[in-house]
This record gives sequence, C-alpha cells and structure tokens, in this order.
Amino acid sequence: MAGSVNCREASRLLSAACDRALDAEERQALQYHLGRCAMCRDFESQLKILRRAAERFRDGGA
Amino acid sequence: MTDPRFAQIESHRPYLMRYALSQLRDGQLAEEAVQEALASALESVATFGGKSSLRTWLTSILRFKVIDLQRRAASDRQHLESSDLAALSEDEGWLDELFDETGHLLEAPRAWSDPEAALEQRRFWEAFEKCLDRVPGAGGRVFFKREILGESTEAICKDERISSSNCWVILHRARLALRSCLEKSWFGKESLHGR
Repeated sequence: MAGSVNCREASRLLSAACDRALDAEERQALQYHLGRCAMCRDFESQLKILRRAAERFRDGGA
Repeated sequence: MTDPRFAQIESHRPYLMRYALSQLRDGQLAEEAVQEALASALESVATFGGKSSLRTWLTSILRFKVIDLQRRAASDRQHLESSDLAALSEDEGWLDELFDETGHLLEAPRAWSDPEAALEQRRFWEAFEKCLDRVPGAGGRVFFKREILGESTEAICKDERISSSNCWVILHRARLALRSCLEKSWFGKESLHGR
C-alpha cells in the first residue's frame, strides 16, 4: 500500500475493520483518506448504524 | 382464552426462520426446527420470566432444536454451494460496477439524518428485513451470522469452509448492498416517514 487509498480501497478497509484489526499501514492510509473524503466518512458512520441495527434486530427490533 | 403472548411469539417466526436457515441451510429442516421451537415455546410460555427479550428466549429454544437436527443431518450437511463459490469470484467484479476507474463510488452515498429515530420505527424494521432478503448469494446468511448473531469470522469461515479473505469479501459486498438498499428504501425517503 503506497500510503494513500481511493474510495474503493477505503470502503474495503472500513468493512474489514468491522471484522479484524487493521495493520498500522492500513490504519494510516485509511485515516489519511477519511480526513479528505466526506463520502467515506458518511460510509463509516453508516456501517456503525448497520451494526447497531443488526444488534437491535437480534433483540427484537423496534 | 388464548394467551396474548401466542400472537407475539408467532410474530417472531420470520426471524427464527432466518436463524434456522443460517445454521441449517436447508429450508425443510429450518421449518421443522422452527415449528418444534414454537411448539415448545407455546407449551412453556408460563416459564418465560421476561428477563431476556422474547426473541432471545425463543432463539435459545430454537438453538437446541437446530443442534439436534444438525447432528441428525451431519453427513448430508450442505456447505457453500457451487453457485456461491462462483459468486465469490464475481464479488470483486461486482465491486467494479459500484466504483469508477479512479476508485470513486458511482452512486455517492448521502448522509443519513437521525438514524436513531429510524431504529424506533416498526416500518424501518420491515424495510430492514426486506433489504436483508435482497443481499445476494451467501452474503445474507454470512451477514446474519456475523452481525446479528455476532459470530467471529473464524467460526464462520470454519462453518462455511471458506477462507478469511473470502469471508471478508462476502461481508463487504453484503454491507454495501444493505447500505444501498436502506438508503433507497428508507433513508432516502425520509419525508415520507411522517416524523
């Protein structure tokens, strides 16, 4: 990884971060990208909402 | 007089079916497990003290039925079907349809306003279930195990007999699909939700 990533890569890393620890290089590249990309920041917060929704769904939804 | 909890118990059937299908991967076996679990639950509803949610209690009854059926079906157990395996190789190609050649999303996501309020609405959960149904291939099942049941990717990989990297690709695709569907069917239509 060259130290910077595009949205496609960032999307992959954001999803991967839900399932495993990112290594230092990945974390750095992702943080760098998120600092510059509002759309990917939105995607990051939406992933968190999906996770909260999934947990609520397990417990019965609304 | 019928116990009003009977209707409540029955209302969890779709969720219980999803759970059973995620573990058994066979519609008939899943039906059998859910029927037995619901019958047990109806018989013993008086013992439900309400300490956990009703769904959690029902799922714990179902878990035992599923384990029984898994033991019985051990030799016939289906793992990832050949169509799923073909789909795995398509997953990276599928990403090509979402991103342009510079790696930008073709359809830019929009910020979701007040997602916490959405989680309080019954109709949101109807939309959520529909979107879950639409997640392609093995993604729905793997997403259900990972995000709803909270299983580790290690456990899922072992159960599905796939590699970790395949699992991550499937989950990435599932999350993108679910996100997009919820945006189209709920968050993009906020003016219609009467809030």
